[in-house]
Amino acid sequence: MTTTSLIILGLFLLAFVGFVVYDIVTAKKRKEVYRVKSTATAYLMLLPAVILAFLFILLPILYSLGYAFTDYYLLLPDDIGFVFLDNFAEIFQEISAKGMLYNAIKNTFTFVIGVVPLQIGMALLLALFVNRNNVGSKIFKVCFFAPVVISLSVTSFLWEQILAPGEGGLLNSLLGMFGVAPHDWLRDPNTAMPCIIVLSAWQGCGYQMLIFLSGLSNIRKDLYEAAALDGANWWHRFWNVTWVGLRSTFVYVLITVFIGACRIMTQPMLMTGYMSHTVTLSYYMYNTGYTERLVGESSAVALLMTIFIGGVTLLQRRLFREK
Amino acid sequence: MDNRLLEMPNFRPNKQPIKKTVKEIIYHIVGIVLSLLFIMPIMYMLATSTKSESAYAESVGTLNMFLPDFANLGVAFDNYTSVLVNYDIWKYALNSFLYAGIVIVLNILVNGLAGYVMAKLTFPGKRLLSFMIIFLIVVPVETSIIPLYSIVKIMLGLKQEMSVVGVILPATISIFNIFLFMQFFQNIPKEYEEAARIDGASTMDVFFKVILPLSKPILATVAVFCFIGVWNDYLWPSMILPAADDGSWPLLPIQTALMSIKSIESITTGEIMASLVITSIPIFVIYVCAQKYIVQGFGTSGLKM
Repeated sequence: MTTTSLIILGLFLLAFVGFVVYDIVTAKKRKEVYRVKSTATAYLMLLPAVILAFLFILLPILYSLGYAFTDYYLLLPDDIGFVFLDNFAEIFQEISAKGMLYNAIKNTFTFVIGVVPLQIGMALLLALFVNRNNVGSKIFKVCFFAPVVISLSVTSFLWEQILAPGEGGLLNSLLGMFGVAPHDWLRDPNTAMPCIIVLSAWQGCGYQMLIFLSGLSNIRKDLYEAAALDGANWWHRFWNVTWVGLRSTFVYVLITVFIGACRIMTQPMLMTGYMSHTVTLSYYMYNTGYTERLVGESSAVALLMTIFIGGVTLLQRRLFREK
Repeated sequence: MDNRLLEMPNFRPNKQPIKKTVKEIIYHIVGIVLSLLFIMPIMYMLATSTKSESAYAESVGTLNMFLPDFANLGVAFDNYTSVLVNYDIWKYALNSFLYAGIVIVLNILVNGLAGYVMAKLTFPGKRLLSFMIIFLIVVPVETSIIPLYSIVKIMLGLKQEMSVVGVILPATISIFNIFLFMQFFQNIPKEYEEAARIDGASTMDVFFKVILPLSKPILATVAVFCFIGVWNDYLWPSMILPAADDGSWPLLPIQTALMSIKSIESITTGEIMASLVITSIPIFVIYVCAQKYIVQGFGTSGLKM
C-alpha cells in the first residue's frame, strides 16, 4: 500500500509539474508575471495544506475508488488481489436476494423520502412563524433551535430512553394516559424508521430554520408593500415574493439536507444496532468495511453511493436553477 | 343622538386592535404549544438528571417526568458528581477540549495560509489547485472513511500513543475552510498589504500581522464550526483510539466515551441523563455566545453554491 501511495504521489507531482510548466509557457499570453521569490513563498505556505489534503482527502477518495475492484481484507494490506467487477456482482446478488444490503437501501430510501420534506417543511414553517420582531417569537425561536444544540449521539441516547419499550418509556407512558397499550417502537419494523425520521427532523430542523430566517431577512420589505398595494393576498405574497426570494436558500437547504439524509448512520447505529429493519447504507458500508473488514465490497458500495448522491445533487441543482 | 354620533369615530379604529389582539393571542398560544413539543424531550432529560432511580420510576406516567425532583434536589448533585468523578467524564471532557483546541489552531493556520495564497498570490500551478479545490468540495468525502482508516493506521503503525495524532491530523485539513478563507481574503482591499510591503514586511508578516487581524469574523466562524465538529464527532475517534481499561488516562473524547458509560451495568437513568446534559453544555454555551458567527457562517458560505 505504501508503494501504491508513492506511485500516486509521483503521478500527482508529475501532473502538477506539467501544469506548472504549461502555466509558465503560456504566462505571456495570459499577461501574468511569475516571480521566483513569491512563487517559492506561495508553495511554502501551501505545503502543509497540500500534504494533509493529499494524505487525508485525495488518497482516501482514490483508494475507495480503487479498492472497489479488489478483494482487500482490512488486516491484510499487503495481499490485495484485483477482482474486476466481482464486488459489484456480489452487490447485485445481495440486492436481488433481499439480503442486508437490500434492507439498507430500502431503509435509507425510506429515511430520505420521509425526512427531507418533513425537516425542510418544518424548518420553513417555523422560520415563517418566528419571522417577526417581538419577545414571544424570539423565545419560540430559541425553543425550536434548542434540539440542534444536542449532538446526534446524545439525541440518539435520549430518544432511546424516550422510545424505550414497556411502560417505563416516556412515549409509552404518555400514551398510556390515553389508554394506549405500550409498544416497542424501535424493534417493530413498522415504527422504527418513522421514529428515527421524526427524531432526526426534530433534532435538525432548527438549523435549517435559521438558514431560512437569514434568507428571509434578505428579502426587501418594499416588495411586500408593493404586493400589498397590488391587492395580493397571503398566498400570492408568499408565492411571488417570499418564495422567489428564498429560492437559492431553498436549493442550498435541499441539497445539504438531502446529502445529510443519505449519510444517515448515527441514529440506527446507536439506537438499535445492526438490525435488518433499521440498517442504512452508510451503516452497511461501515459494518462491512470496518467490523467485517471486507474493504473491497464496502468500497464498491461507497462508490455506487457517491455516484448516486452526486447525480441526485446535480439533478436537484438543475431542476431548481434560477430562471 | 349627539352622543352616539360623537362616539362613532372612536368605534371604528377600536375594531382593528381587537382583531389584532385576538390574532396575537392565537399566535402566542400556537407558539407555546409548538415550543413545548420541541423542548419536551430536553425538559425530560434535564428533569431526569436530577432524580434517583426510585424517584424516576415513580415519576414515569405522570407529568412529574418533565419536572425536577424538587423535594430531593440533593440527588441532582449526587448524579452529576458521580458521573463526573466516578465515571471520569471530566477526563473525557478535557480530552475533547484539548482535541478541539489543537484542531482549531492548526485548522486556521493550515487552511488560512492556503486560502491566503489562493486569494492573493500569483504563481504557476494556481489554476490546477483552484480546480482541485472546487472538485474536492463537490465530491462527498464521507464515503471514504474506511480507506482513510487504513491509511491512518498504516501511517501510525501500531503505536497506541500515536493514535491521538490520528484523531487530530485528519481534522486539521478542510477544503471547505480553504474556500471560506479564500472568499473572505479576496474582499480585503490590497492597499492594506501594499502599505505593509512598503514598510518591508515579508509575505508571512503580511499574513500574520495584517491579514489575520483583519479577519476576526471568519476566524471566529471557522473556530466555532471546528469546535462543534470535533466535540460532536464520535465515530472516527471510536475507530482510531484504544478504549482504556488499565486505569491510565483515557484517550477517548466525551462523545465516544458516552457509549461505554451508558453500558455500565450499575448506572442509573438519572446518571445517564446527567452525562448527556454535561456533554451538551459546551455546545449550548458556544451557540449562545457565538450565535452571530454561526449565522455569518452560512450567510457567507453556503448560499453561493
